Amino acid sequence: MSVKAEITSCVEQPRIACAIGGIYTALAIDRVLPILHAGPGCQGQAGATLAGANGGQNADTYLESVIPSTNFSESDVVFGAAERLSHVVEESLKYYDADMFIVSDGCVSQIVGDDIEEVVRTFEGREKPVLHASLPGFKGNNLFGHSEILKAIVEQYLTKSDHVNEKQVNVWGIVPFYDTFWVATLEKLEALLTELGFEPNIIYGHGKGLKAVDKIPSAGFNLLISPWVDLDIVKLLEEKFDTPYFHYPNIPIGPTQTADFVRKLVKYANLDEVGAERIIKREEDRYYYYLNHSIKFIFTCRVTPREFYINSSASQALALTKYLINDLGMTPRKIFISEGVPEELQEEVRSYFNDVQHERPEDLEVIFTNDGGLCDTYVKSEDTTFRKTAVFGTTWDELTAKNLKLPFVPVSAPAGDLMVGVKTYFAWEGAINLAADLYNDAANKGLGTVS
Amino acid sequence: MAIDLTLKESATREQRLGSITGYDGKLSDLTKQGCAGCLLNKGRRFQTVSSCSHTHTINQLSGLTGALVVDHGPIGCSGGQIFFTLNRNRLNPPPGVPPLEHSKIISTNLDESDTIFGAVEKLRQTVLAAYERHHPKEIFIVSSCVSAIIGDDIFSVAQELNEELDIPVIAAAGEGLRSKIWATGFDSYSHAVSKARFSPPTGERNPIINYSGFGPVGRQYVEPFFTRLGLQLNLLVGGSTQEDFHRATTAIASWGQCSSQSNYILSVLEQEYGVRYLQSHLPYGGIGFERFMRDLGKLIGKEDIVEEIIAEEKEKYKDQIDAIKARLKGKRAFIALGSGFAYEYSRLLWELGVEVQHAIGYHFDPVLDQNNLESEIAAATDVKELKLDFDTSINDGQEMETYLLVKEYNPDFLVSRGHEASAWSMLQGIPSLDTEIGFVIMGYRGLVEFGTTIVEVLDSKNFVEKLGARYVSPFTEAYEGLSPFSFYDEEAAI
Repeated sequence: MSVKAEITSCVEQPRIACAIGGIYTALAIDRVLPILHAGPGCQGQAGATLAGANGGQNADTYLESVIPSTNFSESDVVFGAAERLSHVVEESLKYYDADMFIVSDGCVSQIVGDDIEEVVRTFEGREKPVLHASLPGFKGNNLFGHSEILKAIVEQYLTKSDHVNEKQVNVWGIVPFYDTFWVATLEKLEALLTELGFEPNIIYGHGKGLKAVDKIPSAGFNLLISPWVDLDIVKLLEEKFDTPYFHYPNIPIGPTQTADFVRKLVKYANLDEVGAERIIKREEDRYYYYLNHSIKFIFTCRVTPREFYINSSASQALALTKYLINDLGMTPRKIFISEGVPEELQEEVRSYFNDVQHERPEDLEVIFTNDGGLCDTYVKSEDTTFRKTAVFGTTWDELTAKNLKLPFVPVSAPAGDLMVGVKTYFAWEGAINLAADLYNDAANKGLGTVS
Repeated sequence: MAIDLTLKESATREQRLGSITGYDGKLSDLTKQGCAGCLLNKGRRFQTVSSCSHTHTINQLSGLTGALVVDHGPIGCSGGQIFFTLNRNRLNPPPGVPPLEHSKIISTNLDESDTIFGAVEKLRQTVLAAYERHHPKEIFIVSSCVSAIIGDDIFSVAQELNEELDIPVIAAAGEGLRSKIWATGFDSYSHAVSKARFSPPTGERNPIINYSGFGPVGRQYVEPFFTRLGLQLNLLVGGSTQEDFHRATTAIASWGQCSSQSNYILSVLEQEYGVRYLQSHLPYGGIGFERFMRDLGKLIGKEDIVEEIIAEEKEKYKDQIDAIKARLKGKRAFIALGSGFAYEYSRLLWELGVEVQHAIGYHFDPVLDQNNLESEIAAATDVKELKLDFDTSINDGQEMETYLLVKEYNPDFLVSRGHEASAWSMLQGIPSLDTEIGFVIMGYRGLVEFGTTIVEVLDSKNFVEKLGARYVSPFTEAYEGLSPFSFYDEEAAI
């Protein structure tokens, strides 16, 4: 096939925003306000991919439209606008009831050489912390931006704690907004960790805010729950506060992974293994109760999807691959990871895909790319006449799946401008939601019915 | 000022039309100053995020059937397009039409080294890869802030590739920092698409009326009027083909969804091909419809049929409109909309007997591009012909300013669209509605559609009142106590 994208770096159908999308990590922390030194439209571009067209989300404390911005213009290119920025920060401190301000610049202000660090330095010692994080889009995507925001908080705000709470575990690796299901996933993860005997500390979402941020240095350990995102952050926390980290490569979906996650985590932390087994047994029973409850719908007079394409974030791709293979008994076709995983980490991320109950895990085709359109091009060119193929991806993929009548489940940004509500595919209950979404779409496409 | 298609790019709205993004006063004063050419802009010393012309240049170009857009910028600059392509694809295609496809937009993905060394070659390679992947009928190359600042000449690349490839390759100036007015993006689109798709008509003028707008939604409601007048309706909207644009040059007349979106392209058709641009009276609501249809009837010499249509439509919806008016008696409304629709909806509300307390336009064009000096902008004709007047202000989606204004006026309801004014109003317990635009609100039918929505919104306020009761302001008391226009600053450039 003639897909030239491999030899260029161009990007179609982006599944990521540019670095400025990092402000959504700030917005996910209650009462933290980003201040932009960027063009008037920069936030809107990132917001579509990460929020609006990603599960119908918007920022909570500060609805995006009131984010202060210098709205860089042509004359600023000539004269610079550091002074205007300073004024905007001053006014923001006066008018926003916020606990923290993070000043971020975009491409143009960076190219013309405005120094936001210098501007921010003049606000040292104010009642509320004012931090800085550079987010020019030409330097990286929203995951780079996310990392810059977290690094700013760790390096410019946090200080070492004089005590350690062994039970406290900080949760990392779930990128707010970008992970479509972050709110409900974190809620459910928090409940599970609490039941296992931990004191989870999560900085994003409802009612958390700076009091959670302030607790970061006193954790017994950091839980990293992603293939690579936030690995830099837990390493930084280890270096700065001597906090060790436990790395599980993905959000667990379904009984096989979730049991594995719980067992490894409890063992690592020396917690009650018997109690954990009780929880696993209870939840597995419940999971299979629900599947039994619809076993006729899934299989009777129907052909269910058996193969799958994934075009998503690394975290979702890994979690889904494991669940679809291990628990739903499906076979992977191609797995596209379209979030610009740094080259030096790709091999490690690839290796996590070997941990599946599959005869030849090394045959799994995992493709790292920035070009979201690549998967689309493959799917369109594949002959699926005799195959029962499903697509897991973003709303970009939805239309192709619709045209080809392939079952489709949105799992990654931009997942579509539909309200995500309390949906998550996390753990046992989440997997029931996922199975339902998959089999429902197969039925709606008229695919499943045996005539 | 005449449009010059031989130029690489369209001048900005500020330069061409004297358009503004800061004003507070009366509508009568705004239009009077505008017509007299003495309207001054007001800058702000504090601003919040807004939108940019780049977004709209790409959105409009990529919506065209057969077109592919190469965005010469960092990866994020075209990310927001997912919203527009999603919306377009919610419409089901008519029978026999090929399946829908997402807009084809490919980013050159500029990185840090490109900002130092330039990326003209990368642009070339991207265009070639894009061509290989999709085989489009035409390619538009759009500049971004970054490619403009580093000095990459997209126009030369387009010219070279135009010769190399067997399809038109046209460049459009899309850098957001050129203009404070995002509607400048519509002009960049118009300028580029005019070059790509218009050519001098051969043969006679056809009985066609063009419509320029975002999309075809509601076409079925209005097409029969034009059929009765012996006119074919030709759409220049998302989904339109090269043939639709070629046909447009042979038309008798054009009108547009709003001056923001349609002014430039329809002025080109008038200036270059003699297609009359009807813009002083837009056909929204009953009054607008009557005036627009009479203008059209006069132009084509079919005043009698026009009067028949008007009488029928008026009669058909009379009872429903009376019922809506009875329900809305004594209500007061606040408007926050794009400049075209702000002053259309104020007339629709006036027609329904609702008091307009204040209307915000996201920018204001004192004049339009067309050369016909007798033809005034729609807002000015309402002031003159209907004596419409009320408080108005101009802000480019500055929700902090809108927030204080809404609080000050405390309306019964708010009418808006996009840009979060309605979300903020709902959070504070004020019912609000995001409106339809285009064909859907045309004529008496449109008035009923709009009026019914308001009645429904006001019918039960349970949700909005309970939401409002829980509202916690994210602003300080110092902010809540400010007067709405506190951020105006004569010194501020923008």
